[in-house]
Amino acid sequence: MKRELIRICSSPKLFVYSLVWLMVLVTVGTVAQKDIGLYASQQKYFSSYFFFIGPLPLPGGRVVLALMLINLVSMMFKQNLWKMKKIGVIVVHLGGIMLLVGAGLTAVFSSEGSMVIEEGSKSNTIDDYHITELAIINVSDSNYDQYTVFGQPLFKSGNNLMHGDLDFDITILDYMDNATLEPIQGSSSIGFKGMLKNFNLIEIDRDTDDMKNRPGIIFQVSGTFSDVDGVYGLIFGQSVPATINVNSNQYVMALQKKKTYLPFAIELEDFKKVMHPGTEVAKSYSSKINLVENNIPRPVLIEMNKPLRHEGYTFYQASFIESPNGEETTVLAAVHNYGRLFPYISSIIMSIGLLMHMLVNMPALFKKKK
Amino acid sequence: MRYVLKYPLFMLLLFSSLSNDLFAKELLITDIPIQEGGRIKPLDTYARNQSLAFYGKRKIKHEKLESIDWLLNLFTHPEKGLDQQVFNIRNPEVVNALELEWTNNFHRYSYNEIFPGVEKQLTLIRNIFEKKEEDRDVFESQMIEVYQNVMKFREIVSSLSCLLPLFTVQSPEAAQYLHIEPGQLTSYAHIMSHRESLFGISQGVLTKPESEWSNTEREIALLLYNLQQASSDEFAKSLKIIPPSENDSTGLWISPWELFDGRTIEPHQDKIIKALESYLVARFEGDEKSQGSALKAYKAGLLSYSGDRIDFSVLSKERWLNKAKLFTNSLVFYIIGFILLGISWMIKPDLLRKIAFGSLGVGFILHTYGIYLRMVIMSRPPISTLYETVIFVGFVIVLVSLVIEYLRQDGLGVFIGSISGAMLHYVGFGYAADGDTLEMLVAVLNSNFWLATHVTTIILGYGTSLMAGLIGHLYLIEKIRVPKDSVRLKSIYNNMFGVTLIALFFTLFGTILGGIWADQSWGRFWGWDPKENGALLIVLWQLMMVHMRLSGLAKPDKFALGMVLNNIVVIMAWFGVNLLSIGLHSYGFASGIAVNIILFTVFELVTGFGTYYWARSRKKLAV
Repeated sequence: MKRELIRICSSPKLFVYSLVWLMVLVTVGTVAQKDIGLYASQQKYFSSYFFFIGPLPLPGGRVVLALMLINLVSMMFKQNLWKMKKIGVIVVHLGGIMLLVGAGLTAVFSSEGSMVIEEGSKSNTIDDYHITELAIINVSDSNYDQYTVFGQPLFKSGNNLMHGDLDFDITILDYMDNATLEPIQGSSSIGFKGMLKNFNLIEIDRDTDDMKNRPGIIFQVSGTFSDVDGVYGLIFGQSVPATINVNSNQYVMALQKKKTYLPFAIELEDFKKVMHPGTEVAKSYSSKINLVENNIPRPVLIEMNKPLRHEGYTFYQASFIESPNGEETTVLAAVHNYGRLFPYISSIIMSIGLLMHMLVNMPALFKKKK
Repeated sequence: MRYVLKYPLFMLLLFSSLSNDLFAKELLITDIPIQEGGRIKPLDTYARNQSLAFYGKRKIKHEKLESIDWLLNLFTHPEKGLDQQVFNIRNPEVVNALELEWTNNFHRYSYNEIFPGVEKQLTLIRNIFEKKEEDRDVFESQMIEVYQNVMKFREIVSSLSCLLPLFTVQSPEAAQYLHIEPGQLTSYAHIMSHRESLFGISQGVLTKPESEWSNTEREIALLLYNLQQASSDEFAKSLKIIPPSENDSTGLWISPWELFDGRTIEPHQDKIIKALESYLVARFEGDEKSQGSALKAYKAGLLSYSGDRIDFSVLSKERWLNKAKLFTNSLVFYIIGFILLGISWMIKPDLLRKIAFGSLGVGFILHTYGIYLRMVIMSRPPISTLYETVIFVGFVIVLVSLVIEYLRQDGLGVFIGSISGAMLHYVGFGYAADGDTLEMLVAVLNSNFWLATHVTTIILGYGTSLMAGLIGHLYLIEKIRVPKDSVRLKSIYNNMFGVTLIALFFTLFGTILGGIWADQSWGRFWGWDPKENGALLIVLWQLMMVHMRLSGLAKPDKFALGMVLNNIVVIMAWFGVNLLSIGLHSYGFASGIAVNIILFTVFELVTGFGTYYWARSRKKLAV
């Protein structure tokens, strides 16, 4: 029984079938990027366990890769594998196992976001690229702001959000991946508060570039037993913040990209863009920054292909914004990844394994004619 | 083997004839440096690029004129240049719109022929300019191309007019002001360099009424008027041949006319412009000796520039490369190899096959030397553009073919190497027809380390993968031709499997290296970008084939078919993903490529499955 299980799990046929399905996924997921954009396609086909075509559930990238991992690991238990002649094969497959384990770690534990800093200013927060959060900020105390934050996974219709620091409850009514505001003709329904008194928050088609999507949220505030109770709407990047007053506390509410606070800050001194002389082709971008930790600044130069690594975070020169009045703003990509060493180690192991296998086998495959 | 040994001797002869002036110490007019497209290149390349842009060829064929001579003639005889038929208009609609006569074979027109039509159609052209580039149809974009070419041509024609001897005065007094002999012709540049001595007398001209002018003053007034007229050429700033001033930080070279816009002319710039002027005069007069000494002075001027060092040996190498046409010659040797091999199969002397092998080798040496020179000129690894991937894949396939031929000695390697080497050269010429193939890099690619490792490895992977597919084709053909010769089939199959393993090594390793580069510069190892996925598909396909073989799912025939189909995967990853025009790697897009990809895919499907089933049906008959 055990032996039979290993035989099936370790069969190269299982590997071949997984590969075929993975190729289908990669092809479909690549072509789909043209229509739905990279992020949505990646979420649907690659970073998913299952996805649906009509009512039919199909295995997504994670299931296939997990299957391949099981296949590889069980292959290691085969008796007839462990022979000197197959040393190259063994090493390659060990490398493969490491690569897949690393991919799994990265998929679960890594996070990436961006840090946008104007010349002369400082930042210690990373905004996630995709995930949003609802921040309720108590600004009553003049000495500090008190943040209460609810994450995107909680945004399901009907979910109740409660927190001891808040004088009210929140019930999610609707969450939209991409929304827009439309002025209301005439008067709004009773119970709509804040900007919803004048605007409808409606869902629109997702842009293929996820950065251009503006998520929106509609929720009910209750438990204040005043006219503050009612339905509120927020949209990402709105210019006028929504505020409410409950029991002499003032709250600012905002839908924002998930923020990560760093134990250090980055101050942009100068952003530089160098062109090839006489052309519109950029030769290099670089940000001259100060890494401020415990109030001690340390100058660092971040360039294309030369990121800054600090405390498990890596900062890359990703983009920039030039305002018409000549002010420059740098956009740094910030990544936190526990699995990042795995591909390095596994690729070295796999390459060595393949080389060993080739060295053992090549003489037989290329015989010189006598 | 001894026949192969004769080839180096032949090569030596070939090279010595081509490289006579490669190591010349003196500066040649073809080698004077000019800044264009973000880099310093020899004037020869600039001339070829212009000729290609206007005329469609790298020399003016119908006048049997090298592009450099054409360009220099433009400078010395601008008026003649305007009547020269150098504009290639390929579209009869455009010709009609410009009110010109369409001629079937030639359809080349001069500036003076085209310009009136362009002037008439200015409103139309302005209208097209307001459209977005992707919304323009063929006629509209060609109309814009003609307009831009005409404007650029006008600019080039005038770019050295400030150095031409066009002005003179007769009275000795006026001549003294200009530092010339009476009646001697001189240039705008010369007069401007003595403008302070003219200052006093021109004040007199301007303040006194015309009736009180002396003879000298009358002459000076006329001269001032003519200078004013000539300075309307000031707009001609495209010829960036003067190094910047010593304390410049932009790295921008300047054109002769810019030098006379009132700025301080520095000593090295003065030397260069004077040397160029005397060169043009000497050329105008056909005085070869003075041309030589002018160029000596030109080089001295360049050497006195203390900014970024100008590497004359690189300039002359590039000019030599332009002239040597290494890839064209390499193509010729590949074709000769193929023909010789064909003959050797028909009449069977092994000697011919050996000569064919040698011919393939000579072509390969030229091919390699071309790639090497391009690396030296740009001081970077061999591959950074789509064009260079084509050239390099050809290099890889021919290299593997040579090794296989050396081992097998039955013509198989020569067959594959000569056909694919020639075809890829041909594809490369298509790309080269777009302009200068030595381009500067965008910021993200500007890393010699990763270009050398990731890019080179992945292209080695493309090349060896295609090689495995080609052997796959050959295996299926041989299976039909000699189904009983199991020894031969087995050895071809072994070679194919060996090349597949090598290909897998390069594609796998190259893809992972790409991931590491991405991790280094963008912060993620894998981002499901189309090009990344394309490379991954090749790896997965080859992994699949290797494991199908292992598990008994694929016998030799099917394995061969699988590797043939792998060619389609390679082409999709190589060119196909650019069609999606999304993602970080969609460099270099050529419209019309879609048709070629479809044709290739259909061809591979038909020949692959066709030969596969044919081979199988023969097997059944045999049973």
